[in-house]
Amino acid sequence: MRFTVERRLQQPRWLVVAVPLASVLFGFVVAAVVLLATGHDPVTSYRQLFDAAFVSTGSLDQTLIAATPLAFTGLAAAVAFRMRIFNIGAEGQLYMGSITGAAAGLYLGGRGSASPWVIAAMIVAGCAGGAAWASIAGALRAFFGTSEILTSLMLNYVAGYILTYLIFQSESYWRQTKGFNATVFPTGKPLPSNAVWPAWTLHTQGGIALPLGAGLAAVAAVLLWVLYRRTRFGFEVQVLGDSVGAARYAGVRTRRKILSVMAISGAIAGLGGASQVGDFSHSLDGDPNGLQRQGYGYAGIVVAALARYNPFAVVLVAFLIGGLDNAGNSLQGADFPSGRVGVIQGIILFSTLGGELLVRHRVRIARTPQAPAPEPAS
Amino acid sequence: MTQRKLALAAVLLVISAASVVLALGTSPGAAKSSSVFKAAWIYVGPHNDGGWSQAHEAGRQYVQKMLGSKVQTTYKENIAVGAQFSQTVASLVAQGYKLIFATSYGYITPAIAAKYPDVDFEQATGTYQAKNVSEYFGAAEDTVFLSGMAAGAAAKCNTIGFVVAYPIPEVIRHANAFALGAQVTHPGVAVKLVWTNSWFDPAKEKKAAQSLHAAGACVLGQNVDSPATGQYAQSVHVPWVGYDSDSSKFAPKSWLTGSVYNWGPYYLKRVKAAMNGTWKSGFYYGSINDGFTKLAPYGPGVSAATKATIASKEKAIENGSFYEFAGPLYDQSGKLRVPKGKKMTVNQLYAMSWLVKGVIGSPKG
Repeated sequence: MRFTVERRLQQPRWLVVAVPLASVLFGFVVAAVVLLATGHDPVTSYRQLFDAAFVSTGSLDQTLIAATPLAFTGLAAAVAFRMRIFNIGAEGQLYMGSITGAAAGLYLGGRGSASPWVIAAMIVAGCAGGAAWASIAGALRAFFGTSEILTSLMLNYVAGYILTYLIFQSESYWRQTKGFNATVFPTGKPLPSNAVWPAWTLHTQGGIALPLGAGLAAVAAVLLWVLYRRTRFGFEVQVLGDSVGAARYAGVRTRRKILSVMAISGAIAGLGGASQVGDFSHSLDGDPNGLQRQGYGYAGIVVAALARYNPFAVVLVAFLIGGLDNAGNSLQGADFPSGRVGVIQGIILFSTLGGELLVRHRVRIARTPQAPAPEPAS
Repeated sequence: MTQRKLALAAVLLVISAASVVLALGTSPGAAKSSSVFKAAWIYVGPHNDGGWSQAHEAGRQYVQKMLGSKVQTTYKENIAVGAQFSQTVASLVAQGYKLIFATSYGYITPAIAAKYPDVDFEQATGTYQAKNVSEYFGAAEDTVFLSGMAAGAAAKCNTIGFVVAYPIPEVIRHANAFALGAQVTHPGVAVKLVWTNSWFDPAKEKKAAQSLHAAGACVLGQNVDSPATGQYAQSVHVPWVGYDSDSSKFAPKSWLTGSVYNWGPYYLKRVKAAMNGTWKSGFYYGSINDGFTKLAPYGPGVSAATKATIASKEKAIENGSFYEFAGPLYDQSGKLRVPKGKKMTVNQLYAMSWLVKGVIGSPKG
């Protein structure tokens, strides 16, 4: 017997539904085998997973903490990948957005401006910081043909070092320098109260705080959908993504598109950074053991791929992955090493992504006799 | 395209519906109150890192062993500061944990302390205190100083390498104590620093050790969490001074000694207090005298004469006749920082931002 994988000419609609569902199920089944092999009851473990992600009191609060940045970095990846611009730099763009967003919040907040203005300025500053950082890789690609995959990835490390430098290795504007605690361990200067982003409380499950950032991510998703579906710009970007030659022939300005798409992608990631400061940490988190260990920028690529670059799906997938991420912390413990949690999460994500192959391709099983005879050795 | 989009929406709907169904089928999250007291530990690295977190884990196991079925303990490992810490605490509280030991600085923020007023928190190495937040640590500088003496005696050249984590006062004072100790047994020796900017990163620690050795260091020491420095030291046949835990088994030939912590007794005292309702916020600073810090057993490379010199200094520290952070102390530029007859206080040690004479490296990382 011989297996061949070939492209489907048509994608039946039911497959688009069935394959991801079956893939998720498959992932859970394989993960269950791992759980059984390591002496855990899969049913109990999965219950605990769902409890901690979506059900128990306060769990949705914590899921949103992970889901909000993932929605931003997922959208950032989706918007660029759609045009086949592989921006791997959402991680660094998020850091830069948190730096510029925090600067705006500290400066305007400290001067006593009205809260809505301070928050609006933080949003704009966060977008600008991320967009500027992404534009470095964008310009290198547009004018010199340098691979944006490499440059945007390298810039993540640079951004990380800048972030650490601002809090740990200098007495910068962002660093708290007053008080005894601040001399013992470096921390960011806390935002004034008028720069802290509001959260709306939904009165279910003991009160869920819906952060402003989560709302902004949803708004960003709508705007991106409109941009890609209802404007000439979006149409041209999609043509470019499908065929650069055809787009050039039709008179699309490639360089401009590369620059704008990178800037938009960076702006969304940067907004995620501003949301980190405004919604959650309320100061610039320069601890290499903090924000930089979360890897939201890289996880955003997975979110975008699972959502097939559809902005609305990105928001939903970010919520589900945020839940999985949050629940992992609940699952691990003295009897459940953190590495095994990573294995379970990895199996589920890998199966779901791997299943995509079956939507676009089909596996044919050919019997050996019918297979073409091996070519004679020359 | 529209069909695919619809289908996609359907898939996501079904997935979320399935999770809701699964979720509704589960029991309510909050654990039923039971007579067993629950305490949890949160580690910055793996529980078996061979250093810092492993020493805390030994303390947790000590508590579990001493109190048996009266307590239920667990740990969470590899937890980052910020979002992940807040998620972890939320899940522990939901499961009924009443006492949480956060074993690294930066974990506990005023917001977290205020969010869970019924839970008692303890944070190692920090200074932030609140009604439900205690801080605890100990004078490791004394034993790090003694371990530095072993390093100085073993050095056949004039440079000792010291792998350090973050440029923060805790690490700076340990580097200073180590250098002061080395200078006692090896006058004029230089202690060279390389920062890793991480508590636990074996790959970076090994590279730091490598670069120190290449720069002429003939003994290696460390203030990071893993024994990677020691493993590298053994591979190039140079002596090594560890930290946090007795990690001689990772490099038995290179191992000289190391300053180690005994967290268990403090943990036991605090868990007992929380169980009978007498827990109060406080600041604990253990010492060589109450057994909180000590020197790990010596390796084969420490001579009998060195052991005797260290033992007499240890006695002097115990009875208070010697203190390594007493004047005169000079900084790297030769400026007098602590005049003769003055001793540094714990608060000054907690804010120490300058390196002593003989240390090569920047206190800013």
